[in-house]
Amino acid sequence: MVKREEIVHAANLIKIDLEDHEKYIEQVEKILNYFDILDKASAESESFVTQEMSLDKLRDDKYVPFDENLITQLKNYKGTFVKAPKMV
Amino acid sequence: MLKLQRWYKMNLGITATQYLEQVKNGSLTVEEFMAKTMERIKKVEGSIHAYISLNDDAISQAKQIDKKLKAKEKVGSCFGMPISIKDNICTKGMKTTCASKMLENFVAPYDATVVSNLKSQDAIITGKTNLDEFAMGISTEFSYFGPSRNPWNTDYVPGGSSGGSAVSVSALECIASLGSDTGGSVRNPASFCSVVGLKPTYGLVSRYGLISYANSIEQVGPIARTVEDAAFILNIVSGIDTHDNTTIDKGKTDYAKDLDAGIDGKRIGIISEMIGEGVDKQVASATSKAISKLQSLGAKCSEVSLDSIKYSVATYYTIAATEAGSNLARYDNIRYGFDFDVEGYEFNAYISKARKNFGPEVTRRMILGSFVPSAGYLGKYFLKALKVRSKIKSEIDQAFKKFDLLFAPTVPVLPFKIGEKIDDPLSLYLLDINTIVANLSGIPAISIPYEIAQGLPIGMQLFANSMQEKTLLQAAHALEKTTNLPGVPI
Repeated sequence: MVKREEIVHAANLIKIDLEDHEKYIEQVEKILNYFDILDKASAESESFVTQEMSLDKLRDDKYVPFDENLITQLKNYKGTFVKAPKMV
Repeated sequence: MLKLQRWYKMNLGITATQYLEQVKNGSLTVEEFMAKTMERIKKVEGSIHAYISLNDDAISQAKQIDKKLKAKEKVGSCFGMPISIKDNICTKGMKTTCASKMLENFVAPYDATVVSNLKSQDAIITGKTNLDEFAMGISTEFSYFGPSRNPWNTDYVPGGSSGGSAVSVSALECIASLGSDTGGSVRNPASFCSVVGLKPTYGLVSRYGLISYANSIEQVGPIARTVEDAAFILNIVSGIDTHDNTTIDKGKTDYAKDLDAGIDGKRIGIISEMIGEGVDKQVASATSKAISKLQSLGAKCSEVSLDSIKYSVATYYTIAATEAGSNLARYDNIRYGFDFDVEGYEFNAYISKARKNFGPEVTRRMILGSFVPSAGYLGKYFLKALKVRSKIKSEIDQAFKKFDLLFAPTVPVLPFKIGEKIDDPLSLYLLDINTIVANLSGIPAISIPYEIAQGLPIGMQLFANSMQEKTLLQAAHALEKTTNLPGVPI
């Protein structure tokens, strides 16, 4: 059984403010309880599906400039730096 | 007046193949067709809301193609065909909102590969279609811009998340569309709106420029009026892309060729877990009829059980939410996001404030996506889901040793009313049971319109093994030919 404080903590970690969101906690709790069905699946011997690619299939390690100045898409871009909120 | 209306409808309801014939033989101009399409959009949008934004230059682009045709210059294989694009696929110079307040004013600086492929073949983009915010949902009700409505009955949902794409094709607001399918988001709305929807093999179509939600399972796919039209679009958008390392070489495969090959002697496995408990009576009855039709065409049908399907919804949502939590972390209002100044905010509070602009489904999945891979729960949820996914894949591999194709209804229920399930997310998740298996295993699947029951569409679904799109499309074409469906009532 998942504890509600743990859901609130997970929300905080991903910076979702749950101050007035009792409904979300209830819904997420219900969904997580449903996910517990995975406990019944016997798949311990399975390995993970991963994407593998040999080095020769990668494109050449060559600098190709993007045709548009992507950096201008940034919010609060000040010519030589990006303005962000204070960290401490 | 009525006669005029009927002519009007018939004219716009042509297939891609018919459109190409008529433009090539000169009985139709690109401008005329585009102007009528735009007129139609203006007329019906108020009641169905398929589009988030329109291409204001569509008619002048159509005129350019007519000019080229007149001057006998080379014209791309789409000949100005009106095609809509789901609004989570980047289109240079046009807004690409993901139906989110977060990206309400985002103008894409480049075209997705699928879009540049279409443009290079002289397709004209009619506009950007509505979706569930960031493609998370199966009803298009979670769009920041309001829901799309089913053209077969506007009180009902059109399915999702590519709801706007399916509506635009079904309601004659374009000839074909591109959607994206992470757990059924092309096939589900295709089924609910009585059009064809294809989810290609993972890697067959480039994801460059598709705004990321769950990278390991999503694919761009065509929505069209016929299987032949879907094959035509697939030919254009598929193949290797240097911008997407997961793309696969398709060689010289022509998906639109030999569609009439039929299914005589093909072995088709009917997935037991998708036709029993929880399936609506009318969907079950349509499924039985479709199986009889497949048999009458010479296919050998028998049931096959995929035991791990019962874990697929939990597996899928665990993986999709984890990937979403990581992908959507970029919406921090510093790189992308909702506009307000950084002055006076502490870092965490600033980002939390920006993320309050996510809608309810995205918020839920962000929390889930933070929780299921977190310390203490990683093994129980995320790692377990990855293992179950492998198990599902091996069961599918086993099934394809015995069968050429697999079969099931696309959605276990009929379209439901707008608002009916919106407060019960788990009940919506459970409706994905018949579609997500293709995403978890990477195989291609297609939804074919099969029946209209009580005025609402029912679609049937075929699956093939990886890279077997040709066999899949041939079988879908054979089944499609057994149907005779009415035109859309709107």
